[in-house]
Amino acid sequence: MSDPVSQIAQPPQIPQAEVTPAPVASEPTQPLGRIRSIWRFWTREIFTGSEDRLFLFLAILIGVFSGLAVVCFRVAIEWTQFAVLGSTLAPTVPRVFLAPAIAGLGIAFLVMKIFPQSRGSGVNQTKAAVYVLNGYISFKTVIGKFIVCALAIGSGQSLGPEDPSLQIGAGIASAIGRSLKLSQKKIRLIAPVGAAAGLAAAFNAPISAVVFVIEEVIGTWSAGVLGAIVLAAVSSVVTMRYFLGPESLFRVPPIQIAHPAEFIAYAVLGLAGGAISLIFLKWIAYARPRIQKLPRWSKYVQPAAAGLLIGLIGIRLPQVMGAGYSVIDEALHGQFAWHLLLLLAVVKLLTTGISFLSGTPGGMFAPALFIGAMLGGSVGAMEHHFFPRLTVTIGTFALVGMGTFFAGFLRVPITSIFMVIELSGNYSAALPVMVSSLIAYFISHRFQAVPLFDMLTRQDGLILPSIEERREQVSLVVEDAMQPETAIVAAPSDTLVVLAARLGENAQGPILLRARVGEWRLLDPAEVRGLASDPLNTHTAGGIPSKGPLPMIFPDEALEEVLRWAGDWPVLPVVNRGDLGKLEGVLALADILHAFRKAAAE
Amino acid sequence: MAADSIGGITDEHPGEHVDEHDAHADFLRKPVSSNRPRELVLIICFILLVLLFSVTAVVSRLYHRKIHTLADQWYAQGDAAFHAGDAKTAIIDYRNALGYSPNNSVFQLHLAQALVSAARFEEARSYLVNLLAESPGSGEINLELARISSRQRAWLDAVRYYHSAIYGVWDADPLVQRWNVRKELCQFLLDRGDAAGAQPEVLALAQEVPSGKRQKEAAALLLRTGLWTRALQDFQAILKQSRGDQDALVGAAIASYQLNKYAQALDYFERLHRSAALDQNAEGMLQTSRQVEMADPFRRGLSAAERATRAAAALAQATSRVSDCSRQHGEAISQTPPVTDLQMLYATAQGMSKDWTEANLARHPDRIDAALSLAFQMEDAAAQQCGEPQNGTDRILWLLDRSRQGAAQ
Repeated sequence: MSDPVSQIAQPPQIPQAEVTPAPVASEPTQPLGRIRSIWRFWTREIFTGSEDRLFLFLAILIGVFSGLAVVCFRVAIEWTQFAVLGSTLAPTVPRVFLAPAIAGLGIAFLVMKIFPQSRGSGVNQTKAAVYVLNGYISFKTVIGKFIVCALAIGSGQSLGPEDPSLQIGAGIASAIGRSLKLSQKKIRLIAPVGAAAGLAAAFNAPISAVVFVIEEVIGTWSAGVLGAIVLAAVSSVVTMRYFLGPESLFRVPPIQIAHPAEFIAYAVLGLAGGAISLIFLKWIAYARPRIQKLPRWSKYVQPAAAGLLIGLIGIRLPQVMGAGYSVIDEALHGQFAWHLLLLLAVVKLLTTGISFLSGTPGGMFAPALFIGAMLGGSVGAMEHHFFPRLTVTIGTFALVGMGTFFAGFLRVPITSIFMVIELSGNYSAALPVMVSSLIAYFISHRFQAVPLFDMLTRQDGLILPSIEERREQVSLVVEDAMQPETAIVAAPSDTLVVLAARLGENAQGPILLRARVGEWRLLDPAEVRGLASDPLNTHTAGGIPSKGPLPMIFPDEALEEVLRWAGDWPVLPVVNRGDLGKLEGVLALADILHAFRKAAAE
Repeated sequence: MAADSIGGITDEHPGEHVDEHDAHADFLRKPVSSNRPRELVLIICFILLVLLFSVTAVVSRLYHRKIHTLADQWYAQGDAAFHAGDAKTAIIDYRNALGYSPNNSVFQLHLAQALVSAARFEEARSYLVNLLAESPGSGEINLELARISSRQRAWLDAVRYYHSAIYGVWDADPLVQRWNVRKELCQFLLDRGDAAGAQPEVLALAQEVPSGKRQKEAAALLLRTGLWTRALQDFQAILKQSRGDQDALVGAAIASYQLNKYAQALDYFERLHRSAALDQNAEGMLQTSRQVEMADPFRRGLSAAERATRAAAALAQATSRVSDCSRQHGEAISQTPPVTDLQMLYATAQGMSKDWTEANLARHPDRIDAALSLAFQMEDAAAQQCGEPQNGTDRILWLLDRSRQGAAQ
């Protein structure tokens, strides 16, 4: 307790009366004093404990803030839509034609002059903030994203609110983290926490949001940050539901699988989803750099031009304007014929590409879901046409199609599976979506090496770690590097003469002493040989000096983890997890390096 | 360290080897007083949170109010269009309403009904199936699905949905609603020509009549199902309440006719207003009943001479019918000895012809029954050999026989 660190860290150092307020009835200032005591207690608990505790507390705070912001964002989008396009699902021709174009001019001005950081969908910007800017996202970006995206989506640009919500959440988290002067490490960690909160509230699907942030933004299932992300996502969804209700974005029809042969139909959907997502990716990959090279002045008119095109299309097909949740809902309920579904899928792909390439800020989630739902519905309807005995409803195909296109386009297969399960609330949906999503994912992956968000950041000149590449890296384990037969194992009762005989004359290999179960030590071969040569010597292996205890390692441990000890000891014993006295092999630093070199060469 | 890293990146910048333990220790080393700014920030955060919460509450309340208003407006417009028979506009309006209140089951149901009206059955079905998943016991949803199934000729589904509707939950006036659904089911089955399937439903319907008004509808369905006795009872019950009920009189007349109670049928027909328009079928029944009554030798109040005349005419007609029928089969009617039924009956008639002349029968009314019995036997035998007589006096005589048999039973 003489350590000053320990002294400050110990809450009992605080006088007990302050920690646990003892109410005294006669005290006139009792209520105030009590509140003050509680405040002091909690602030000490939060601030003087480890930063992790504060971090978890902040996760909830960020979740609530993000939830509130997303509620306001969604309301802002709706109100913009009322004001610009009117309250009907089929607005009048002048509104459809003019609103996106006029709004586009405003969007361009705001993006070019006031909120330049609000460009893009928000996902790769958040990722860039985490990896390049140490988690820094300016609050101006949050405000800009809010205003510009509300105007864009509300005026009918074919974009969605989820990705901007993600960035809004990340921006709020970053601002809170900076205000509280958190360490750099925590500020970098806090942005994904806010991102998960924002996405969860926008999507009304906390699990999918958590999985997406881990899959796309963070890239590792880190236990330290996972708890905070989950807390933030849940608290933001709870906040959002408090104000906007628990209903999901679309009503999902009941799903059931009647026959295993239906999976063939889902596989066909996977092929179609993979092909369409690949076309979309290739188009963006081709067109974006070319559009970015256009003169600067053109950026002032690009959103308006995109709006004009979308307005023209919207006169005939108003369904493709905006996020399109209600249209997805209708598709899920089999409200469209297959040819209309297919047309909507193709046209939405076109309008989303136009909106996105024009530099209009907005998300790709909702359009991806829209295209997937329409594509799934049309494939399902066509399959019904050719195979009338197929019992799967078109709505089920639309739902699975959403996950399929999502997996193929955004290359987040795990998120897509969780998303479909979460939206449908039915685990029966998992298997079909797994089949079709993985097919779409592999097609997209085979023909487009870089996923969308990584491609966008690379086009912007940033090389961020690719989660997909990392996922494919082979992680080496001890088993891949260990040498099974190079060590001599001695028992404490072994005489040195016997040991020297086993060692041989020229052998320089290590001698591992199994001191007792779970404790391994190292004997010096030269010393053993020297002592054994003395004819009067009666020592045993346990009776001479040894080094250790050695850290025990197991065959399934990651090689990176073992590196920390490898330099300190000439060899490390690799033991069986079930029998700590049983040596499986030995591992030296050279073995580890050799294994890494070999893997790299392969 | 690994737990707090993102994708392998930690806060250890090149040349800045910050051990996590050291960082943690640094953090802990901050004196309590250094928490003051954080406390202040936290207080500001809470104030901002309260402010944002309040703003969001106001904004969301305004938003919800607006949404509800819009939903109600579109719904009202849709209802107006639907009741005006403009299903197409109603569908658009209902869809707009649903856009603002997607989970509103009333909107969905009305939209489905409008879609059914516009013959867009598949679209309607998907809404209804979704609604049914939420409330499988709903009578209204099951009824709509039954209607769609019946229009799409999915007979088994239709019957299943009708039954689910009958035993389903109805918010208002469940007895009447269930009765109406069962009535619709009966009509559906009868329209399909499935009278056998309809009979138990119609009987159940007649059993559970919720009000006097409905009794007539039940009786009409009993009539359509061919449950004549029960139909006659019901119509008679109605006529006890309201003697001059024209529909009940027609129904009772038809039921009586079908039960071969021609005198009773004629009585009901004659109680109808002169202006009452009968359909072709009923008109035929009326005429036949009149003819049967005109030919019936057992009619009350006839004089002995008239009875004898009618009996002699019946005998002559039956003899002629037997003769014609035999000829149709290529048999000689007066073969000796007689072999077939027709020949034997004809021989009997010939043998008795002197005794059963009109004059003899008038003198000996006790012979009329025997003479008529032979006439009916001949008509029966001829009907078995040559088919039921479809018209003319033979048919009247044959109907008279059925009537007598019915009365005897």
